[in-house]
Amino acid sequence: MLFKEDQAARAQHQAVRENAGWYLWTHDLVEVTGEDAAGFLDYLFVNHIKKAPVGRSKYTTMLDEQGRIIDDTIVMHMEEGKYWVSTLYAPQLIAWMDKHRGERRAAYRDITQEIRMFAVQGPNSLKLVDKLLEDSAGDLKRFQVKKDRAGHLEVWVHRSGFTGELGYELYCRTEDQEALRGQIAQAASEMGAPELTILEVYVRSLPMEKGFALRQDMYGLTPYACGLDWSVDLEKDFVGREALAQAAGQEPEYRLVGLEFQAESYEDIAQKEIVYCRGVPCGFVRAAIYGYTVEKNIGFAVLKNRRAQPGTQVTVGSNHSPAIVVEKSWL
Amino acid sequence: MPLLDKLDEEKCVKTVWGKLIPEKEAYQYATRQIASFCANLFQVMRILEPDFEKRTSAICEISYMMNMAASSDEYMAGFHDEWNIPEFCEKSSWLGGIFGDSGDEYENMAGRVIQFTRDRVEKELDTCPWDIVGAELCNMTTAMFTANFDLCSASGENEVALNMCEARGCGDCHCRVVAERRDVYGQEKQGWMDHMNQPAMPVHDTPKERRVREGQVMRNGCYSQAFGEEKSMTWAYRWCMEKGWVWCVAFPLIAIRDMAESEEEFERIFKIVFSTAGKNAFIEPFAVEGLRSWLGVPREIGDNDPRLMGGYIKNILDTQLVPNELEAFTQEEVRIRVDTETFNGRFPMAPVEELTLGYETLWHNMVKTMVSTEWSCWFEGKDEDEMQIVVGRRIDKRMI
Repeated sequence: MLFKEDQAARAQHQAVRENAGWYLWTHDLVEVTGEDAAGFLDYLFVNHIKKAPVGRSKYTTMLDEQGRIIDDTIVMHMEEGKYWVSTLYAPQLIAWMDKHRGERRAAYRDITQEIRMFAVQGPNSLKLVDKLLEDSAGDLKRFQVKKDRAGHLEVWVHRSGFTGELGYELYCRTEDQEALRGQIAQAASEMGAPELTILEVYVRSLPMEKGFALRQDMYGLTPYACGLDWSVDLEKDFVGREALAQAAGQEPEYRLVGLEFQAESYEDIAQKEIVYCRGVPCGFVRAAIYGYTVEKNIGFAVLKNRRAQPGTQVTVGSNHSPAIVVEKSWL
Repeated sequence: MPLLDKLDEEKCVKTVWGKLIPEKEAYQYATRQIASFCANLFQVMRILEPDFEKRTSAICEISYMMNMAASSDEYMAGFHDEWNIPEFCEKSSWLGGIFGDSGDEYENMAGRVIQFTRDRVEKELDTCPWDIVGAELCNMTTAMFTANFDLCSASGENEVALNMCEARGCGDCHCRVVAERRDVYGQEKQGWMDHMNQPAMPVHDTPKERRVREGQVMRNGCYSQAFGEEKSMTWAYRWCMEKGWVWCVAFPLIAIRDMAESEEEFERIFKIVFSTAGKNAFIEPFAVEGLRSWLGVPREIGDNDPRLMGGYIKNILDTQLVPNELEAFTQEEVRIRVDTETFNGRFPMAPVEELTLGYETLWHNMVKTMVSTEWSCWFEGKDEDEMQIVVGRRIDKRMI
């Protein structure tokens, strides 16, 4: 939990909003290779992976046959016929790939233990990473990735992040982790950019203010119910397409929304806490956190569509904590 | 709109008289029953070892060792995978914190993780079904946490100062465990009796109006941890009925038995304590009225009818998820058949034969005040695969 008065959390949060901060941000990573790699990934994901040239990445959800989100990932096109899929659920992704590969000439393996990743985030993150890199990262557009060097270390620089600020993700081999950590720490200290040590600051507080949800927040909903219509390419074939095409244009039964908690704090609100409208259950909370930029207790909830309109007054949990439904992005 | 085809269904425990006890209520009740058995056991310990520090250290030591032995690297790695703990969350001592949090919630210890950072973890509880047991158990849980933290530490020895700075078992309104990295906060490595001190950094005290009365599985039907993985109410209930006995009964029992000079001495005191507890359970007349209401006992079951005790025992077994079958249920006798191994081994890896001794003694004395002294309770076939719990008439010139 994060609280308004937590000065350590506030300092780390604001460093990313105003300067820069860095942290170990290794996700599970699945490498997909082969002649049919692009086609295979295109079939697994809702976004058009095939259209991404080498050096581009795509954010995309992965659906089950009923069109419900079962994962959200970043797919990076590393080389011709080689992709990295960043997920938090590699074993589940591999099992899903096994189920759907068919006759496609595509190989995949979990390379999580081979690759580490550090996030450098904040308006001054370019300045920070440029202190390390042989070539400036200034030429990278959002969702672009390139190979570079940090001193003698080979790194991959991906312009991306989960804070809503300018940011870069530096991938390195696991054996180089400590060396890269040292380099980042040195450069960061020269800029007064702290290492973020409070998980909830970079997993929840910073992203949520910008409307960034985790897979667990969206699990079981359609991309439409989560406001991810833009990522769906119904022109191509993919798992769940048929169900999703039917859902397109219809009001979803449930919707992912933002909540603003009116009480001073939210100690009584856990994930899955029940949300009530006029005393009747209408959904459940997905996350609650304090946002140090917006200075509010905020959260995500999955609510019945007819209770999901911004401005709806609800209560949460056994203490009837008052909250108001809002758009799920605060900044 | 057409009429419903059938009513909505919810899981319940059905009493002998058809009263339905909802799953949540049954879970809550059964959890408190385990705590009550533990409370009796700790009275045995207090007689055997009058010195608070000696007995507390002894149960801490054994709980630490047993927890270390029971939770292999493989077990913890399995937990890590099962809970989908992301790679960016360091596999250090803090995994123990996540492990502990899930265990609390499965046992309806309602609260929250106040802080979860690399250097400090703070867990606060508003309720604990085991708060009736006393301070030794609170201390003992810190030894179990120490084991969890050691197991999850890369070096095999944890790097933290672990303090239960508040405990409901000591009369505080919260339980609060704080783990702080020793190198960061300049703290010393602790002995068993050093874990009830104040932490280095201030704690966050949840205000009264934000406290909760039940754990997540009761409030929300599931436990959901920070990384989104969930366990259902039903899953948590079963977990609690299996493992709830292990940490608070099976582990301390090893140390408590060692406190007695002989096996006979242990059993003598054990029986005296459980007899007293049983006899006092229904000494108040309104307690029997409450029981009749809880079980839905009809008026035709009179005050001196063994079925009242039999229905109570069956309900205890059912709510503790112990399979059983009624063999006889008359005005003259009640017989309930149970599998002996299941009765004693709710968690098969840690069977507790004292469950038979404890419940036989408890119920034999309980029936004296719940029904009348004409009735006794005994277990037949204790050394066989199946045993029978009997409520019947017995005359003994040395009855206790």
